[in-house]
Amino acid sequence: MKFDQFFELAKTKGISESQIQISKTKSLSMSLFHHEMDSYNISEGQSVIACGVVDGKFGSCRTEELDASTFDYLIQGIIESAKASEKGEKAELFAGSEKYHKKNVFNPALGETPIEKKIALIHEIEDGLFAFDKKVNEVESVAYEEREVLSEFYNSFGLKLKQKSNYFYISAAANGKAGDEVKDAWDVYLGNDLTTFNPKAFIKGIGDKLLAKFGGIQCVSGYYPTILQNDVFSSLINYFVSSASSDEVQRQSSFLIGKLNTKIASSKVNIAEKPLTKNVFFSYFDDEGVSAQNKDIVKGGVLKTYLYNRETAKRDGTTSTGNGQWEGDKIGIGYGNIVVRGSKKSFEDIIAPIHEGVYITEIAGLGTGMNAQSGDFSCQAQGFMIRDGKLAEPLNLITLSGNLVKMLEDIKTFDNRMKLTLESVECADVYVKKMAIGGK
Amino acid sequence: MISKALALKVLNEALATGGDYAEIYLEQNDSQAVTLENGKVETNGNRRGFGAGIRILNGLKSVYGYTSVLSAKSLITLAHDLAASYTGIRQITVKSIAKQTVKVINPIEDHLNDVPVAEKITLLKKCYAITAAVDKRLVRIQNIFSNYRKNIEIFSAEGPEGKQFENSEERGRLVMVAAAAENGKIETYFEGPGRFAGWHWFKDVLDWKAKAKECGEKAIMMMGAKECPSGRYPVVIANGWGGVIFHEACGHSLEATATAKHLSVFSDSIGQVIANPIVSAYDDGTMPNEWGSNNIDSEGHVTQKNQLIRDGVCVGFLVDKFNGRRLKMEANGASRRQNYKYEPTSRMSNTYIASGKDKPEDIIKDTPLGIYVTNFGGGSVNPTTGEFNFSASEAYIIRDGKVCEPVRGCTLIGSGKEVLMNIDRAADDVDLGQGMCGSVSGSIPVNVGQPTIRIKEITVGGRGGKLE
Repeated sequence: MKFDQFFELAKTKGISESQIQISKTKSLSMSLFHHEMDSYNISEGQSVIACGVVDGKFGSCRTEELDASTFDYLIQGIIESAKASEKGEKAELFAGSEKYHKKNVFNPALGETPIEKKIALIHEIEDGLFAFDKKVNEVESVAYEEREVLSEFYNSFGLKLKQKSNYFYISAAANGKAGDEVKDAWDVYLGNDLTTFNPKAFIKGIGDKLLAKFGGIQCVSGYYPTILQNDVFSSLINYFVSSASSDEVQRQSSFLIGKLNTKIASSKVNIAEKPLTKNVFFSYFDDEGVSAQNKDIVKGGVLKTYLYNRETAKRDGTTSTGNGQWEGDKIGIGYGNIVVRGSKKSFEDIIAPIHEGVYITEIAGLGTGMNAQSGDFSCQAQGFMIRDGKLAEPLNLITLSGNLVKMLEDIKTFDNRMKLTLESVECADVYVKKMAIGGK
Repeated sequence: MISKALALKVLNEALATGGDYAEIYLEQNDSQAVTLENGKVETNGNRRGFGAGIRILNGLKSVYGYTSVLSAKSLITLAHDLAASYTGIRQITVKSIAKQTVKVINPIEDHLNDVPVAEKITLLKKCYAITAAVDKRLVRIQNIFSNYRKNIEIFSAEGPEGKQFENSEERGRLVMVAAAAENGKIETYFEGPGRFAGWHWFKDVLDWKAKAKECGEKAIMMMGAKECPSGRYPVVIANGWGGVIFHEACGHSLEATATAKHLSVFSDSIGQVIANPIVSAYDDGTMPNEWGSNNIDSEGHVTQKNQLIRDGVCVGFLVDKFNGRRLKMEANGASRRQNYKYEPTSRMSNTYIASGKDKPEDIIKDTPLGIYVTNFGGGSVNPTTGEFNFSASEAYIIRDGKVCEPVRGCTLIGSGKEVLMNIDRAADDVDLGQGMCGSVSGSIPVNVGQPTIRIKEITVGGRGGKLE
C-alpha cells in the first residue's frame, strides 16, 4: 500500500497529522490426539490501525479489509472518532526518536525446518508421555504452533519503522488416574530456535508434575510462610507492573498513587523492564513510534518510575518511557520483558528454614480474583506442604489470598531458578514471610 | 461476500484429496465503541473485522485455515494448501449450492450501528450523572456503549449439493464501572447489561437508571466491607449472574469439546445422576433477542433448546459436527466461534439452572451461618478434573438466617461433581446475566442463569480468618 497517498489524502480531509500501522501474520499449528494429527491450521492475516489529529483532537480507526476503499474507510473513521472526543488536552503525534536500538530477532531457520521434523517432535512428546508412567491415562493434546509477524509503522512526519519476528511454541497436557482421582498437568515451551528445545526434559517436567499431584489434600486454613513457584510469581508480578501504568495512577485507579521514589517493597526486590533483550518479546519501538528503553521500575524496594506514553508523560512533566501501546481505540500503556532479579540461593536453600509452610505451584482464576486497583487477590491454588525444610504432602483445592504490596513487602528472599514465562516476565521462586491459605 | 461460483470452486478444491466435508465461513464485522471517562468522551472508535475460514473434515481429522484476503486466488490457494494435508482421492464433487432459509428468531428494527453516536453519548452521560451523584468518593466512573453487526455467510458441502447460509448477529452492551477511593483503599463495581437487540431496548426497556445508581452504591458499600473468612461453609448464591457457577462447574464439562475425547469428568455420564434431584439445566440458543442467542450456529445448524440435566440426571451434551463424530451424536446447534480466525466447536449460549420450588427469602432464613454471594467477577474451570474457581464481587455474611455485613476478597473453589450434588435448595426466581466466555474457539457472548440456590458446603477463600 502506498502510505504517502494516505497521508496526503488525510491532510486534504482535515487530518493534520496521521499515523498508520500494518501488521501481517502467518501461522501454522497442528496437534495430535491418539497418535493421529487431529488438527492442522494455517493462516495469513493482516490488519491496519490508523490514527490522526483533527482540530487538536485524537481519532482512530482499524480494519482487516485491505482494498481500494481502505484509506477512505480509515479517514472517515478517524474524523468521526476525533469529532466526538471531549478530551481537553491538545493531541499531537510523534515525529520520531533520535536513536532506535534495532536488532534482528527473526530466525529464518525456524520456517525452513521441514514440517516432518516438527511433526516427529510432537509424536516423540506424545509417545514419551504415554510411556512415562502407568498412571498416565491420557495425553490430552500435544500441539506445535509457529508464527511470523511483520509490523510496520509509518507517520506523516516521514517516520518509517519495521520489525519482523517469529516464534514457536509447543504445548502438551496429560492426565492420570489413580482410583477415582483424576489429575492433569501441562507445560508450554516458547522460543524461536528449535535447537534449544529438549523434548526429554519437557516430557519429564510434565510427567513429574502429574505424578506428584496424586493424594492432594486441603490444609487447615491459616497464614503460612509461602514459597511461590516462578510461574505463579510471574502472574502476580504482571499485575503489579500493570499498576505502575501512569494512566491508571493519573486516573486514581492504582494502589501506587503517590508512591514514586518511596519504599514499596522489601529491599530484596528489583524489577526492571528490558524490552531490548534479544528474545521473542523484543521490541525496539512502541505504538507511538517512541524508541523502547530498558529501565528500573523497582530498585532496592523503591518505586523508581511509572510507565509512560507521551500523553501521560506530558501531564506529569516528564518524557515517555516508550510504553505507548494500543488499548482499544486509544494508545494506552503496555510493557514487556519484565525481569525480577533472583539470587544465588538454590530452591533447597530457601525452603530449608521453613518449619511448616506452603509451596504454591499452580494458581487459577487470578483474572477474576485480582482487584487490580487495590492489589487484593484471592484465587484457587495447588502445591505442597513444607515440613521441616522439605516438601511434604501435595495440596489441592486450596485458596491463596493476599495483597500485592503486602506480598512484596513480605518477601524474604528469591532463589536462582529464573524462568521466562509466557507473560513476558523472567523471575525466580520467591519466599514470602506469610500468606493467607484457605482450606478446610 | 463471494459468489456461488467461487464458493463452488473453493469447496471442490478443498475436497480434492478425500475430505468428506468442507466449509467456508465468511465474515464482516463492523463494531463501534464509545467510552466516557468521568462524564467526558475519551474515545469513539470504529473497526472492521473481515475474513474467511476454511475447514475440511476427513473422518476424525480436521484442517482449518483463515485469511483476510477474500480474492479468488487467496481462497483457492488456502483450500489447496489445506487439502494437501490429506493424501486420499476425491470422494465428493460438489455440483450445486442451494441457499437455505434462515428463520429470524432475533428480530431487530432499530439497528445499533445506525444510531448516531451523539444519541449514545447522551445516554452514557445520563448514566454517569446518576452514578456520580451517589457519593463524592467515586473517583473514576467509566461508561461504555459498544455494539457490533456481524454479517456471516457459510458455504458447506458433504455431498454433491452444497448449502449456503446467511445470517446477521447484532449485539450491544452498556458497561458501567465505578471506582471508589478513600484513605488509600480502592474498590470497583461493574455492571454490563447486554442484548441481541436494537436501540429501543437499551434506551427504553433496560432500567439503566437503576443500574447506574446501583453501580455507584455498590462500589461505596464494598469500601466498608471486611475481608471474607475462609473455610468450608454453606453458601447461598443469588439468581442471575450467579449462574456462572453452573456455567463453569458443569457447563464446560458437558461440551463435546471435552466429552468427545473423554477429557471431561462427565464424559460417560449420560443417563447417570450427576446432580441433586432438584437440579434441571438447559442451554437454549433460541431465546428471542437474548445475549447468547442466534438464528443459526457457526456451522449453519438451527439453534436449539438443549436439556443437559433432568432432575439430577445427565441427559445431553452440547455437540458440534466434528466432535459429534467421535461421540456418534448429531450436532445440536451449539457450534460457535468468536470470528473467522477460530475453528468452531461446541460452546454454551444461554445456559441456566431451571427454577425450583423454594422462595429466596426462605433459603436465607433456613441458613444459620454462611455466605450469601450476590455477584461474581467470573471464574474458570479445568474440565478434566472438574475443579473450578469463582471470585465474588459482592458477598455478605449470613448469620441466624439474616443477611448481615458485606465481605470482600471472596473466592469459591470446588469440583463440579461435588458442587452439583451439594445444591440442596433452589428458589423460583430464575434470571439471566450477561458475560463473555473464553475457550478454544475464542471469546463469545453467553448468558448464564439460575434461581437463588444454596450449596450446603463449599470451600471459601479469603483473608478474614474463621467465620463466626
